[in-house]
Amino acid sequence: MNDISRTAMTADLENAMTDSSTAGLPAGDALLVGQAADVRTQLCEQDAAWRGGHTRRTFLAGLGMVGVAALGSQLVTTRAAYAAPGASNGNTLITVFLRGAADGLRILVPASSDLGLDYLTSVRPKLVPTALSPLAGTGGWALNSALKPLLPFWDSGELAFVPGVSTGGITRSHFQAQSYLERGSDTSTTGWLDRALAQLGPGTTFRAVAEGATLPAAMAGEQTKLVVNSLKNFVFPGWSGVAPQSETAIATMYRGLTGPLGEDVPTTLAALATAASAQAKAGVQNGAVYPSGNFSTALKDLATLLRAEVGMQVATVDVGGWDTHTDEVNQLDRNLASAASSLAAFLTDLGPDRRKRVTVAVVTEFGRRIAMNASGGTDHGHGSVVWLLGGGLQGGKVHGRWTPLAANTLDAGDVPGVNEVFDVLGELAQKRLGVGSLSALFPNHSFSPLGVANANTIPMPNQPPPPVAIRRGPRPR
Amino acid sequence: MATTIWPSIAAAVANSPHIARSPLAWDPASLLLARFAFGDQPATRAELATYGYDGWWARQLAMPTGYAAQPTIAAHGSLLGLSPKDVRAWLKANGNEYGWELMDQLTEVTLGLQTWSPAQLYEVVVDFFANHLNVANHSDGVWTTRHTMDRDVIRKSAFGSFTDMLLASAKNPAMLQYLSLAQSTKSAVNENYGRELLELHTVGLGNYTEDDVKSAAKLLTGRTIDADYNYLYNPNKHYVGPLSVMGFSHPNSTAAGGEAAGDAFLTYLASHPKTASRLAQKLCVRFVSDTPTPSLVAAVAQAYLANGTRILPMLSTIVRSTEFWTSRGAKVRRPAENLVATVRIFGYGPGVLTTTLPTLHWMSSSVGQVPLDWSPPNGYPDVATAWRSSGSMLNLWEYHRGFAQSWWDGFDKIDLTKLYGTPAPTTSGAAIAALCVRLTGGKLPAAHLQALQTFLGEPASTPLDKSMLRWYLAHLVPLILDSPTFALR
Repeated sequence: MNDISRTAMTADLENAMTDSSTAGLPAGDALLVGQAADVRTQLCEQDAAWRGGHTRRTFLAGLGMVGVAALGSQLVTTRAAYAAPGASNGNTLITVFLRGAADGLRILVPASSDLGLDYLTSVRPKLVPTALSPLAGTGGWALNSALKPLLPFWDSGELAFVPGVSTGGITRSHFQAQSYLERGSDTSTTGWLDRALAQLGPGTTFRAVAEGATLPAAMAGEQTKLVVNSLKNFVFPGWSGVAPQSETAIATMYRGLTGPLGEDVPTTLAALATAASAQAKAGVQNGAVYPSGNFSTALKDLATLLRAEVGMQVATVDVGGWDTHTDEVNQLDRNLASAASSLAAFLTDLGPDRRKRVTVAVVTEFGRRIAMNASGGTDHGHGSVVWLLGGGLQGGKVHGRWTPLAANTLDAGDVPGVNEVFDVLGELAQKRLGVGSLSALFPNHSFSPLGVANANTIPMPNQPPPPVAIRRGPRPR
Repeated sequence: MATTIWPSIAAAVANSPHIARSPLAWDPASLLLARFAFGDQPATRAELATYGYDGWWARQLAMPTGYAAQPTIAAHGSLLGLSPKDVRAWLKANGNEYGWELMDQLTEVTLGLQTWSPAQLYEVVVDFFANHLNVANHSDGVWTTRHTMDRDVIRKSAFGSFTDMLLASAKNPAMLQYLSLAQSTKSAVNENYGRELLELHTVGLGNYTEDDVKSAAKLLTGRTIDADYNYLYNPNKHYVGPLSVMGFSHPNSTAAGGEAAGDAFLTYLASHPKTASRLAQKLCVRFVSDTPTPSLVAAVAQAYLANGTRILPMLSTIVRSTEFWTSRGAKVRRPAENLVATVRIFGYGPGVLTTTLPTLHWMSSSVGQVPLDWSPPNGYPDVATAWRSSGSMLNLWEYHRGFAQSWWDGFDKIDLTKLYGTPAPTTSGAAIAALCVRLTGGKLPAAHLQALQTFLGEPASTPLDKSMLRWYLAHLVPLILDSPTFALR
């Protein structure tokens, strides 16, 4: 394809997009539409290149039809393309999984007699934090002061907790419990986030991003996701001097292929460009300071993608190192300080407006024993703590039920799971993402929301433009 | 339409229509080695040419089993021959009683054997059944025992009968820990193993009731482990009393006879027609396509039932079917299969094992498929839709470049110009064609060859001594491995 036809084509497309889609839309909408236009332009250029560059009219006529759709049916979001009303509302849900079972009782401390502090102190005297930050209006809950960087978000109503969280099928095995939580039941073979995506309908290449080496079980299934080790490394491998030619050769060889690879190869190649342009615009905002470490880097990547408006609906981040069988005071507090400063940097980086559309749920597979073991640590327990951060929350609150700790109120010596984890995740999926029915997400669970979140009230950036009244002339006779 | 099963592999090859799924082309040797081996190797192809399909198959069946077919790799697994007690003692003596050395060794030896064992058919079957009776390596409580599942159960019966394999698995300390059977007693029945036995190991979902799960769990109580993590039948923990599960019933009248009652039940399950169908379906998905025909599945199940639950007759049925030979291109290489096939096709040797095996381990981890490490009990998924990841795709493209360009320590350096073969090509186009034959076994589609030619930016007629290949060979070779002809199989 020669440059002249490419330019003409792009101009036509841009005109078309501007004319029909962006006039009169708020800035956020225009951005999304612009993003869709960029993606479409890339696709059209690829498409035209593959066809030899002389079929401009053909592919323009086919926009959104077979030609483009076949290139990457997951690439052009229906919502951004305004081709069909998508179910997504422009919000993002990020789940952070603390792998290894983080000790909730040293994170959110029941620091009053009414909540069971006396029993707690009696069985784990050395593990009750000496530095506590009381949470006003909660009847005696306090945060481990290692989490101090998060306190401003408590004050602004962008931080909440749910203690005593578990669900029926959870055992004290890390692997079983993680698998159960991520799949959403013991009978599901796909992940609950995959099924949420299925309900939200098609989205962009970046609609579901798993930060880490592999796809977490929560995302297992047939919906397209991007697994990104790090945005910085999300580049075509090898010598950059031959990367464009290599990408072209690969794209040509997968042209017209049916099956997953026929979709995923063009999707990946297209995502490279989006990732590169997002990366080019990367830059921490609002004076946020990210600490070092994988978790922090993953959150920084997600902030970059959110700022680039790539259409990310769900994302997952895994953080290991919470299995504190020994020396918990040092091990856990070091992890907590790092996690808190990473999350605080992320929220700061996004800024007060953007984070209204971003909700973070920090979960772990189960809690730990209340009593300290002989190694200054804790063994596997039951009820855990969910942290909620970001927009759309009933923030500044400790939610749900709580059974004050006492020898006779425990579940085999552990914190009882009085609050259902799927109630929390389901409420976020429904109110923040706009998922309709939860029965497919958590098949064996009867949903009973705790009131942790608010229904979405921000105007949807992707709402189809209001129907234009078509003036009809007199009906021809 | 009924699938034809031919009397020999050669007859199946000769009589099947010479077709494949586009864009791949008919190429029986490549098909065989991409399905019943972990990929092609120049030496394997030569062996196939010498002995023919049936001869190659017979030689594969005659290979030593266990770890013995590749002594160099086996020697790397220094802990795999030990008892759980001795493993623990070794770990303690070497600094960490709870260390992961045994589990890491098992991963590395498995990857090493998949890559370098001459007993490829055996390794493929071992991989299938290790996933069918999955016990996640690197999981809780198996750090001294996981190898016994591999050594004493899967490898022992991979070429034997499924009944023997199932019976051994129900007395394996790693399996008993993984599915909580070791903790299940008459007073506190744990249904975990009983459920997975019915759902995953044998008859499959929809063929039993919840009461069957409970009865199965009760019948198997008493199977536990001793303080040294060896299997132990403890009659005091066994539930006594008549039990029936599906079409099986047993008086189960004594605690002492509880183990035999359980074995009778397991034997019943192994020879159940629903188990036959389930194994046949999974094997056809593994070896033929993500959607095999009911007719082939029925033929494979029949071979299992008619041969006393022996495993090899099922494989033999598949490899003698028209459906198999016309299925080239119907399967996607899963990420670790792509990785191992890459190492094999270049002809890399094992090199410095203490470096190369850990390298393959982290590579398989970065693409999300460390052998034996799938954490739930259902084993790694075997269909293409379960493996969609841009990150692992980019990682595989990176490994194609890394192995073409000898990036990694421990592996020998390779001379890419040797891939041209003899007689040496004299033009750019002939060189590309020769590389494709060497790396994929045959010709690529014309449009793909053209894409490679365009990459070089020169006409096919360009003499090799003036070609861009003088500088770009190391960048062109990985593109051939990135192509659908290598990504599919």
